[in-house]
Amino acid sequence: MSAPSSSELAIRVRGLRTQFGDRVVHENLDLDVRAGEVLAVIGPSGCGKSVLLRQIVGLEHPAAGTVELFGRAERAIGDSARRIGVMFQDGALFSTLTLKENVEVPLKEHTDLSPALISELADLKLVMAGLTAETHHLRPGQISGGMRKRAALARALALDPELLMLDEPTAGLDPVTAGRFDQLIGELASSLKLTVFLVTHDLDTLFETADRIAVVYGGKIAVIGTIDEVIASSVPWVQDYFRGPRGRSAAAAHAEAR
Amino acid sequence: MAADTATFDLIEQAGERVLAVKGDWTVDTIRALDERLRELAERIGPGAAVDVTALGALDVAGAYLIDRTVRGGSPCGNLETPIDLRGDHHAAERLLAAARRSAQPCETAPARRLGIMELAETVGRGIDHVGRETVLTLSFFGQTMATMASVLARPSRIRWTSVVAVMELAGLNALPIIVTLSFFIGIVVAYLGARTLQDFGATVFTVELVGIAVMREFAVVITAVLLAGRTDSAFTAEIGAMKMRQEIDAMRVMGLDPMETLVAPRVIAMLVMTPLLTFAAVMAGLLGGVVACATYLDVSPAMFFARIQENVPAQHFWVGMVKAPAFAVVLAVVGCRHGLSVGDDVASLGKRVTTSVVHAIFLIILLDALFALWFLEIDL
Repeated sequence: MSAPSSSELAIRVRGLRTQFGDRVVHENLDLDVRAGEVLAVIGPSGCGKSVLLRQIVGLEHPAAGTVELFGRAERAIGDSARRIGVMFQDGALFSTLTLKENVEVPLKEHTDLSPALISELADLKLVMAGLTAETHHLRPGQISGGMRKRAALARALALDPELLMLDEPTAGLDPVTAGRFDQLIGELASSLKLTVFLVTHDLDTLFETADRIAVVYGGKIAVIGTIDEVIASSVPWVQDYFRGPRGRSAAAAHAEAR
Repeated sequence: MAADTATFDLIEQAGERVLAVKGDWTVDTIRALDERLRELAERIGPGAAVDVTALGALDVAGAYLIDRTVRGGSPCGNLETPIDLRGDHHAAERLLAAARRSAQPCETAPARRLGIMELAETVGRGIDHVGRETVLTLSFFGQTMATMASVLARPSRIRWTSVVAVMELAGLNALPIIVTLSFFIGIVVAYLGARTLQDFGATVFTVELVGIAVMREFAVVITAVLLAGRTDSAFTAEIGAMKMRQEIDAMRVMGLDPMETLVAPRVIAMLVMTPLLTFAAVMAGLLGGVVACATYLDVSPAMFFARIQENVPAQHFWVGMVKAPAFAVVLAVVGCRHGLSVGDDVASLGKRVTTSVVHAIFLIILLDALFALWFLEIDL
């Protein structure tokens, strides 16, 4: 397998080092995310998955190393706001705005479209994320956690980004809702040809949506590849992760579905 | 990335209409097309075919615009119109299908109501809201008093650590600002008095004016209003944030009564600190009077205090001090009550903090007026 040229890469991380005080979280971490793939990042709690996501979108700066998005080094956050959609763990919807107003925010800020068209596009994105019209005028406090995640996804997709970053998309959802959400992400990723970078703990998400999996362990990407390649690796944490009771049942369920 | 201008042509050939789209149709480029496509679609109605041969980049926003035109220009409805594509494009079919899947059937819009009716409804709701809030505050006051009685009956239940912490944060740390402001109020009252009394040749009564005004009213009201802005708001914000993060619920299920663990220590701390701060404010106000009299009226500090001792009976001091505990209870009760009423969103926290401060100041002024009437009645 030849290394892909940098033009085909959505994200290119080189020599990343993250440090909080004396605690080194990442040391010389390299990661490539190919355009158009769904890459899931897993790893033990506290290994710095979410920090990695925050560094890629520019919310935090690494102590050393570079992050390139679409072959361009990041200078300031907001440079790539047009091309990246981010969904935070709890949705981070603006609680004083309705769901529809939340989706309209990036459209109003970054485009010169007419208010009527912005309103129509916001409705479209919410329906696309699985929210019916009667919910569009509710506020985040009035809806369930699953609906909040969907609204957050609609807001992340508002500007038709090429790259979608998801932080724990199914955390806190019941298995049925989580399963539907996985399906939705998979469908949107293939119908909109999105590159998706998702951080997760959810084994079902891995089997359902991920093209490739990267394991952050010991401050580096310990292993990266398809799910079968990752399971075959010798990293001890990966063995515990997939060979544990939850890992076995998720794998069995997926094998059955296939 | 330079985008090709998005354009379209309507070609009528062999009895059918074909919309030929050209250039890049993305969220950045479709601004100019929106209105023209709406007009075009209204003119030709639904069912036009689409020629995508010359189409460049396309995203969901662009696909929506094409789909809306095919459906006849309305954001909703005509969902059965077939999408008749001509020519090849790498993404058009996929994205048009995605846009169509997310289109909705039309709903009948709810009838607009009359403005006057809405105004009446808002006023009614507002009045009802004030009534409910008053009842809730009174009931919380009663609950607080019951908790205080049970806690004081068994002093071992008082959380002293928390009482002392609140005393420092909410009381002691407010001392500098209260003393400074009261000092300036003393100066202002002295100057005003001296200017006005000059006309009657009675400037020497400035001392009595400062003494009575500061001791009876200004010291205690300034202290209470400042504490409302500083401490009452902090109580609401702290407890409200705990409520939002479900810490209050966690306490409840552990068998801890928030009234006992959060409200009682704050009431006790305020009951101790407000009179002490009021006393400090009285002293600072008198000091302001001394400074003003010494510089403006040539009344020496010794003479100032001699006149105060002779002509301002101690009852004025006690009239001021007696109000301090009452204000303390108002501050603690209003602050805690609004904190515990915060919902689970940020907006309600902001609203509750504002309401808390406004209510506290309102109640302080109201109580002060009632005290004034009462003292007038009993000739104090």
